[in-house]
Amino acid sequence: MIGLEHYLIVSAILFSIGLVGVLRRRNLLMLFFATEVMLNAVNIAFAAISHYYNDLTGQMFAFFIIAIAASEVAVGLGILIVLYKKYGSLDLDDLASMKG
Amino acid sequence: MENILSILVFFPAVAGLLGFVVDKKSARAYGITVAAIEFLLSLWLWFSFDSANAGMQFVEMIPLIPDFGVSYYLGVDGISLFIVIMATLMTLIGMMSMSIKENVKNMIVTLLFLEMTMVGVFVALDAIIFYLFWELSLVPMLYIVGAWGGPLRVYAAIKFFLYTFAGSLIMLVGLLFMAYVYHNLTGVWSFAITDWYAMVLPVNYQLWLFAAFFIGFAIKVPMFPFHTWLPYAHGQAPTIGSVILAAVLLKMGTYGFVRFSLPMFPDASVMAITPIAFISIIMIIYTAMVAYAQKDIKQVIAYSSVSHMGIIMLGLFAMNAEGISGSVFQMLAHGIVSGALFMLVGMIYDRMHTKEMSKFGGIAAVMPKYAVIFGIMTMASVGLPLTMGFVGEFLVLLGFYEISPIMTILAGTSIILGAVYMLSVLKKTFFGPITNEAVKKLKDLTPLETWSLVPLVLIVIWLGVYPKPVLEPIDNSVKAMLTFMHEKAITPEAKEIIKVPQTIMEVK
Amino acid sequence: MMETLVYIALFAPFAGSLFAALFGMGKRQVFVGIVASALLFISFVASVMLAIYVVKTGTPIHVMMMEWINAGDIRIPFGFVVDQVSVTMMVVVTLVSTVVHIYSIGYMDHDKSFNRFFSYLSAFVFSMLVLVMSDNFLGLFIGWEGVGVCSWLLVGFWYHKPDQPREVNPSISPSWAANEAFIMNRIADLGMLIGIFIIYWNTGTLQYDEVFAQLPYLPQWILDAAAIALFIGAMGKSAQFPLHTWLTDAMEGPTPVSALIHAATMVTAGVFLVIRANPLFAMTPEVSFFIAALGTFVAFFAASMALVNRDLKRIIAFSTLSQLGYMFAAAGLGAYWIALFHLAAHAFFKALLFLGAGNVMHAMHDELDIFKMGGLKKVMKWTYLYMGIASLALAGIPPFAGFFSKDAIIETAFNEGTYVLWIILVVTAGMTAFYSFRQVFLTFWGDERYKQYGIHPHEMYKFVLVAMSPLAVLAIIAGFFQPWFHEFITTLLPDYEMSHHTHELILVLTAIVLAFAVGGIALAYKMYAKGLKRDPKVENSFIYRLLANQYYIPQLYEEMISKPYAMISEALWQKVDLKIVDATVDTIAKFFYYTGDGVRKMQTGNLSNYLNWMAVGGVALLVVAALSAVIG
Repeated sequence: MIGLEHYLIVSAILFSIGLVGVLRRRNLLMLFFATEVMLNAVNIAFAAISHYYNDLTGQMFAFFIIAIAASEVAVGLGILIVLYKKYGSLDLDDLASMKG
Repeated sequence: MENILSILVFFPAVAGLLGFVVDKKSARAYGITVAAIEFLLSLWLWFSFDSANAGMQFVEMIPLIPDFGVSYYLGVDGISLFIVIMATLMTLIGMMSMSIKENVKNMIVTLLFLEMTMVGVFVALDAIIFYLFWELSLVPMLYIVGAWGGPLRVYAAIKFFLYTFAGSLIMLVGLLFMAYVYHNLTGVWSFAITDWYAMVLPVNYQLWLFAAFFIGFAIKVPMFPFHTWLPYAHGQAPTIGSVILAAVLLKMGTYGFVRFSLPMFPDASVMAITPIAFISIIMIIYTAMVAYAQKDIKQVIAYSSVSHMGIIMLGLFAMNAEGISGSVFQMLAHGIVSGALFMLVGMIYDRMHTKEMSKFGGIAAVMPKYAVIFGIMTMASVGLPLTMGFVGEFLVLLGFYEISPIMTILAGTSIILGAVYMLSVLKKTFFGPITNEAVKKLKDLTPLETWSLVPLVLIVIWLGVYPKPVLEPIDNSVKAMLTFMHEKAITPEAKEIIKVPQTIMEVK
Repeated sequence: MMETLVYIALFAPFAGSLFAALFGMGKRQVFVGIVASALLFISFVASVMLAIYVVKTGTPIHVMMMEWINAGDIRIPFGFVVDQVSVTMMVVVTLVSTVVHIYSIGYMDHDKSFNRFFSYLSAFVFSMLVLVMSDNFLGLFIGWEGVGVCSWLLVGFWYHKPDQPREVNPSISPSWAANEAFIMNRIADLGMLIGIFIIYWNTGTLQYDEVFAQLPYLPQWILDAAAIALFIGAMGKSAQFPLHTWLTDAMEGPTPVSALIHAATMVTAGVFLVIRANPLFAMTPEVSFFIAALGTFVAFFAASMALVNRDLKRIIAFSTLSQLGYMFAAAGLGAYWIALFHLAAHAFFKALLFLGAGNVMHAMHDELDIFKMGGLKKVMKWTYLYMGIASLALAGIPPFAGFFSKDAIIETAFNEGTYVLWIILVVTAGMTAFYSFRQVFLTFWGDERYKQYGIHPHEMYKFVLVAMSPLAVLAIIAGFFQPWFHEFITTLLPDYEMSHHTHELILVLTAIVLAFAVGGIALAYKMYAKGLKRDPKVENSFIYRLLANQYYIPQLYEEMISKPYAMISEALWQKVDLKIVDATVDTIAKFFYYTGDGVRKMQTGNLSNYLNWMAVGGVALLVVAALSAVIG
């Protein structure tokens, strides 16, 4: 029987993969993907917990997150394209003009 | 003129704003005119001041944030009246003798803003308004030192600003806690100083609050060991900056002690007598010795300021009318005398472009007028009778003698050590043969310089011979304060030490 | 009417000073000197009229000019009292000052700061009058400090002179000597101020009469403390050991100044204070005895230094010190009127002596070394006569003034049974006679050594010599007024009568003193009248060098006080103020600065670094939350 723990473990593994991606990747596009992974990990957890408690709020929240992730990707990709056009690279090590 | 105090506070600021549109060439004349009007207004304040009334006069009160008891609340009594007049006078005299050539307009505008904050601090009766002006006064001074100062000006300006600012933040905590305690006791918020006066605090509260206020005021005074910003600020500031700093800004600290610490925390003040007297004596002796070691004439005057502020602090904690009145009087004397000395040093600096005493020598022969005025101010500084300096110093020492004869003897060495460093300045600068070719070509004071100094000389002698017009209102307010401190004190020791004068004014 | 006279006497010199000050920076104007002198003469006449009034009526005049300091419970007015004591002082001060003013017109005639000189000199007289006429202790203190500052101005009058090593000029330079005098006096003034505080806090007033009325109700230790503190003040002004070194150095000032300030008037202020506060000192026998003992010691000590000195003015300065010692001895032994009498008599002959020395200096082109003089009596007959009279008076030869006054003091010491003091005072009288006549003989008798130095001496102006004549007359006859003065002054001061026993011995005592005085003169005659014979063996002896170097006390002060003070000051500034106090402040500031500077490196501009830090922060928060959940 697949219980709540399994969903949560999957969610945690997914979140960790996303986090590692965020920390290790240098390409902005890959960073986006990694954040998407993290968001979806959270979505899984929300859905699972919602089902466990018989409370639809969590699933509703997952939909919210999907909507927000979509809009974020839309805006973010737009910025990425502009950045790429301007600098010819999406490598974070090249985009360090805010050095303090 | 019901709201003379508001006019006094905001007239220079408004005039300063208007000053931005004044033509560059006439900026100086404009500034002098405004300062003169302001000075006349402050004289009018004195003229219509009722000397027999020891309480607050010309009171104005407009609630600003009624929920928190913050209001626009101004008033003067005998203690603050003359400091206000001195502030306006020194601004005027300083502007008259100003020798700055570049950015004169900015300087004038800055000075006028500074004047607003100075007057504001001394007439504010609401703690928030007081704090506002207190902090605002740092900004124009920062600008004056930082923009017109010597080679180390940025370091000196930032040191001055951060040091005093750090102290006043602790004072702000004290102010807020005071209001909080007031709220707990009475159920209403109030930042009015007069309301706070009426509050009797437990001794441990008093001690904590006294400490918080002490740090804010002590850095401003400046008391040993918080004094090191002062020589830098004076050393780097242009003449006008030093004049205002020494004459008025330092008095904010000692004024704070009279306005807040003494009447609000009588028991804590009595407990603090010994430590403060100890620090004051260190200030008097130590800085007098350091002053003697200086090579730069301006630094001598700067350190001598610290030494004289020690006398003032000692007088404030004499807890009798002689000492405190003398101390307030000494604030005025020190303001005028050290202001004049800084002006004199500035005049020689303008001519020689150095302040090293070893480059001078024999100036008395080429600049007799200058030497005479410097000599008079020196004598006032060392407290010669029939000058202003004596009245204050004598009363302070007399007053403190009642607390501790031994400490008075130690503090009294100021009359010896003061003579040592000031006379050695005179000897190195004015006497002896002329060794420097540049000295031979020096020109004596210009009429403008002479006329900006002569009023100060006259005041120094007038108030030395006949201090009554100034001393009497001060004394009345001080006596009222002491009576009220005595009533308020909780501990029997404090009741015993705080001495109610036998001759309370005839007219209440 | 009498009030007006008081004000005229007091303010005429002040007006003279202001008048001269108007021309202070201008060219030499003889009329400035004349006006100042005339105003002083007016003051003198007014003082004499007041004196006559006081003598006739016997009542003091008390005027209250205005309030001065009113604060707390203290009330200090400008009040003046003209009684027997102050009127005596007023007459002496204004008389000597008038003579000195007229003298200065001649003496200073080549000085370009002529006008300034008169301004200072008249200001001094004004301060001195405030000192003696004031009716309260603080008023006295005004005058006290006022004469101090005038003395500073006048000693340092030739401020342009450079500093020289002590071997060349023992007083280094006029400005140095002036500062030394002022600072030493300030040390004593602190004592005086403390005395004033003690009096105020125990009696609640500073008016003489009110204070004295309350003295019997005060505990003895307070009386002692007040007397000691006031006497410390007196020690400074009257240059008593150990605050005596400034007086000889003050001879750097123009000679009329030495005559007026450092002989006749200002230095006697200390004695005046003791006389003025006699009810206090009369109630403190131990302090009074100390005063007498110190006075006797100083009398001897100063006379010993005068024995070998070569500087004309310094010899007279030492003799002044010595005579001040006599005055304190008398005052300390309770013979206040005798002290005052000696003060007045001394003022006359000492001023005369100094002015004579000024004539010699004028003639010798500012040469002061008596070893370079000799035989001057031929060219300077009148000066010789004056200085001779003054020296006879100083030596205490009858019938000159000094005989009466000094003899009375020595008798007092005998009468009190303080035989040690008596012996010292008698020996000192012999030494006084010796050094006075050593100076007279070396200056006016013997071979004309000045010729080797190419100096052509000449007698002083006629009007100056005439102006000096009143002093000469008084130096001769003042002694005869003793019985009359005694009667007059003891209406105010406590009487002092010799005991029956002393009366019987009086002729013997006088004979002993006279024998010492004449012996001193005879010895001086034997050694110096024929000219200068220098004996290198004597001059290199330890005692001779000790005396010639003033017991090395100036050097001692220099090494033990001035230099360490300067060194400690320098160390406090460089080591403590900059290295400790200021460095601590800067360290605190630097701590914040470097922390910020170190943390700044986090801000790489690299987004992935930021994200890493964000993760660290998130983990840290989680840990904190978890920990607080576990602990809480």
